[in-house]
Amino acid sequence: MSSVTGQVAYAGAPVAPKRANVFKRIFNHRNDYLYVLPALLVMLIVIAYPVYYTIELSFFKTPPNLQMKDKIFVGLDNYWAILKSDSFREVTINTAIWTVASTFFAFLLGLGAALSLHREFAGRGVMRAVLLIPYVVSAVAASYVWKWLYHSDFGVIGALAVQLGLSDKPINFLDNVHTVLPSLIVVNIWKEFSFAMIMLMAGLQTVPEQLLRAAQVDGANAWQRFWHVTFPHLKGVSMVTVLLLMVANFNSFIIPWIMTGGGPAGASDIWITQIYTIAFGRQRYGVASAYAVILFIVMMTLGYFYVKALTKGDESRAG
Amino acid sequence: MAQVVLKDVVKNYGNVYAVNHVSLTVEDGEFVALVGPSGCGKTTTLNLVAGLIPMSGGDVVIGDRIVTDLDPKDRDIAMVFQNYALYPNKTVYRNLAFPLQMRKLPKDEIDKKVQAAAKVLDITHLLERKPRELSGGQQQRVALGRALVRDPRVFLMDEPLSNLDAKLRVQMRSEIKRFHQDLHATVIYVTHDQLEAVTMADKMAVMNGGFLQQYDSPANVFANPVNMFVASFVGSPAMSLIPLAAVTRGTEVALTSPEGWELPLSPANARKALNAKSPKVVLGARHSTVKLHKSQVPGSVPGKVYTVEPTGDITFAQVFVSSAILNISLAPSVQIRPDEPVFIEFDQDKMHLFDGETEMALKAD
Ligand SMILES: Nc1ncnc2c1ncn2[C@@H]1O[C@H](COP(=O)(O)OP(=O)(O)O)[C@@H](O)[C@H]1O
Ligand SMILES: [Mg+2]
Repeated sequence: MSSVTGQVAYAGAPVAPKRANVFKRIFNHRNDYLYVLPALLVMLIVIAYPVYYTIELSFFKTPPNLQMKDKIFVGLDNYWAILKSDSFREVTINTAIWTVASTFFAFLLGLGAALSLHREFAGRGVMRAVLLIPYVVSAVAASYVWKWLYHSDFGVIGALAVQLGLSDKPINFLDNVHTVLPSLIVVNIWKEFSFAMIMLMAGLQTVPEQLLRAAQVDGANAWQRFWHVTFPHLKGVSMVTVLLLMVANFNSFIIPWIMTGGGPAGASDIWITQIYTIAFGRQRYGVASAYAVILFIVMMTLGYFYVKALTKGDESRAG
Repeated sequence: MAQVVLKDVVKNYGNVYAVNHVSLTVEDGEFVALVGPSGCGKTTTLNLVAGLIPMSGGDVVIGDRIVTDLDPKDRDIAMVFQNYALYPNKTVYRNLAFPLQMRKLPKDEIDKKVQAAAKVLDITHLLERKPRELSGGQQQRVALGRALVRDPRVFLMDEPLSNLDAKLRVQMRSEIKRFHQDLHATVIYVTHDQLEAVTMADKMAVMNGGFLQQYDSPANVFANPVNMFVASFVGSPAMSLIPLAAVTRGTEVALTSPEGWELPLSPANARKALNAKSPKVVLGARHSTVKLHKSQVPGSVPGKVYTVEPTGDITFAQVFVSSAILNISLAPSVQIRPDEPVFIEFDQDKMHLFDGETEMALKAD
């Protein structure tokens, strides 16, 4: 640890109780704080204030005309209203299915793609470029394209299903409460597996060649080498990838909003689309804010584990 | 244990020949060091024996089987790697057990073998630790243990000591040597450190640029290097090589320097010098076979002191002789200073002569 004032903790010396001199330590490091002050100020304005304002609004009943001076304090009423509503239950279940299924399959598919691209074969470069397309295509454009692919009259997928004899009439993927969420999840997985693939490909590059060779000499077959060497080595990057995917999926908006707007009958509504509808559709900012605060708490919990996974990787790499 | 034979082994990556038609036989129970500078193809050769990379040509025979087309696991070999290559997420016990598990041995038998290997290598107290909780030397023991548990026919080791500090390296050197003697194991040991090769091996295979240069006992390689590369690679300090020219003076043959001095050769050396393809002859001399004089004696040639390095019981001096630098070892009592003019006397029986064109050692017949 460096110290501007030259106070150095000697290794092996008894460590003073940590909390007693927090202020003294801050004071000793006052120059360090000065350096991060500009960044801190910007963060306060663009992050802390909106967060604070959202929390504040969540305790008020807001008028639809946006005259915020007329808002009425209602305490935790907004929260109770949300938590007790039927739609909250449904939307939460949708969000959970959406997040878990998207994350799980995007990761699995990304892992498969990364592993197949890790081996040398003719056309590997082309394959890699092709598999990266979903990642670089704008989500808005992709949503419109998929909407057409799923279309009940003109959709390629429905037509294919008929041709292959899987169905006698074109399937109405997006207008059916049972198929709409899985259909959207497929699009989301298609969009996201590239990201998992990139992360895991980077991770695969760091698997020591010698370890794989050692395992080969020790008699491990390809699957055993993957299970005993490669996969443990990918643990850190896998954790991070899964958490980043979870966070992204929790916050998904573009795909469900553009493709279905949460419909039909709320069957593809997830938290973010719900919040958007409540705020900008029904003009109920107080309730929307309370919703957002709940989401915020969930996100911060995920974020906590994310940071923890990241720093754990650091330790084991340093050790 | 088994004999290992490399027959005309080739490995090329496009135009780069990492291993170029190498043939050698490692006898049953022999400790052979593959030695050479970095990038000369040692690791590639070892990996070919292990079957970790496909061969471009030739055959490998282990025991009575041609193993050229066999997987590493079917060759009955064990390998020790430079960075130990321990499985970081497994305990020492699980690391040692791994090759046995892969061979589907029953649990109690695995336990027996692991405990036995741990005992031999004195790592029983470390069995529950993870590799990152071990020192470099301990990790290296575990790596040896993992090779040992399986009781393979051949041990392959790729620079197993080069990540250790100097003191530990010397200690592990004798431990590996000991381990070889106790087990009567066939060992192929890769190192870039010629001293390791000389001290540990029954035979050393000196490689350069993918070619096998010389394959013989360390003593023979040291005494009769086949070419200038081997001469300058083996021995520390290296053999000094002085480019000169052979001239015939009646019945006598002498070596002359561009500066004008002449060194008359003994009849045996004269015959060698005359066997050179051209008059260009390179004189090689080890530090212990030359004498340094402060004044001219018959048969000595002039030089100038470059550096003097006292090491306690021996003083090493470097002396400019013609266009080369000559290493000399001296008694500590000899007092010389840099830039001092001196005279060098060569031992005719211990000097080496090389063909200046082909760089091969010259023979008398
Ligand atoms: N996969 C590879 N592709 C291309 N060249 C290689 C490859 N592996 C090794 N080489 C080349 O083969 C030569 C010998 O390498 P190596 O056997 O690792 O040398 P050493 O172990 O003696 O230091 C080097 O010149 C190296 O660049
Ligand atoms: Mg090497």
